[in-house]
Amino acid sequence: MTTAAGIRLPVTAIRAIGLVLTLVYAGVVVWMYAKQPKTIAEVTGGLTATVALYHIDQASFDQGLTFFHKDQFAEARTALERADPAKQHGVTQFYIAYSYVRQGWGRVYSDDALYKQARAALERAVAVSPDGKVLVNNDPSLTLKTSDELKAEIDRGLTREAADFNPLRVFDKRP
Amino acid sequence: MTPAMTISATDAHRLEQSAAVRESIILPALFLTVALGGGFRMAASGQLVFLVPSLMALVLSLLLIGVLFRSGALVPDALMHASRSSLANMSGALVLASLFAAGAQVFNTITPEAGLLQFVFNIFFLLLLWNTIAARPDRRRLLHSLLVLFGGAFLLKYVVLGALYDPQGGLTKRVLTVLLEGVTLGGLTYQTPAPVTGYVAFFTILLFLVGLILLPLRAAAVAPVMVSEALTQTRHAPAALDPVDR
Repeated sequence: MTTAAGIRLPVTAIRAIGLVLTLVYAGVVVWMYAKQPKTIAEVTGGLTATVALYHIDQASFDQGLTFFHKDQFAEARTALERADPAKQHGVTQFYIAYSYVRQGWGRVYSDDALYKQARAALERAVAVSPDGKVLVNNDPSLTLKTSDELKAEIDRGLTREAADFNPLRVFDKRP
Repeated sequence: MTPAMTISATDAHRLEQSAAVRESIILPALFLTVALGGGFRMAASGQLVFLVPSLMALVLSLLLIGVLFRSGALVPDALMHASRSSLANMSGALVLASLFAAGAQVFNTITPEAGLLQFVFNIFFLLLLWNTIAARPDRRRLLHSLLVLFGGAFLLKYVVLGALYDPQGGLTKRVLTVLLEGVTLGGLTYQTPAPVTGYVAFFTILLFLVGLILLPLRAAAVAPVMVSEALTQTRHAPAALDPVDR
């Protein structure tokens, strides 16, 4: 039924459309309070990731990997963070965590501050991964291929134990 | 013939349509926007924070709904009633739920986040709402009173306290310091948010008041009955219909 004023929808259809729109909008509001995005990029990235439309900046990601493989960790993180501003890509966050671990790892002791940042990045990586873990099989330079292994390494680095004083530790391989 | 009988089918349908749009789309959208904006804070560092309402804000929101009901600004029958369809009742329930959330977040946005100031503001709101219930104002007076309440609290939090606790100072701070000569802030703490928080709060309060004005009135509660009467009448007299509606 149409008039010169435009399309006239039945009242039931209006109510049904309103109900759906309201529930979707309410979902967005609840999501904002539950996820607590800290930047506008995280808001837009998080919402697009919810509907599987989020993409990282591949060029920046590749650049970050190049820096990572050259042990330029600070540069690698800058590029990787640019690639994934919303912190919604598990693999990118995994590499950010890994860069902190490699930078903080030492033959005598590991840098707790960097390891704590690694843990935070790894938690983000796991949180945004659909199956709750990250697996990177296509990078032979990584000793630790999964988020579980990386988590164990970070936990070991942050724990004070008798093994820390073992002099043979200087022969350990960098993860 | 009652005035209701004089409504044509086209007008009746249009009335029903506009009521459905307002109830199912506009009001929930307004109140949900308020619920979102009410918890919005931006720290001086630019970091976004979405604050969930405190328990006291929930209590105040419930009290506000009570005040709206007593004054006739909120007519539950106009939103949920046995004579309405289940879809219409669901829309009405969503309006009520979003109104409650929006009310809590409006109190959240105009109350300091912590400390003694939060306590003082909460007591102030509680007493004012209590007093409003006792005064039994009509809808118009209540909306006026809420405008003064929310506007005053907004000015106090975002303009006065914001200026007094502004680390960089400014003209407002200098004027207030002169006016309040001899009075010190002592141990009262207040975290000044980024200016954008104040702007968001202002429009949040404004939207909430618009939402309250748009709530269906008592007269609208019987509108569907009038509309159905008009439709029944036109069904018995199809020749009277506009060719477009036939």
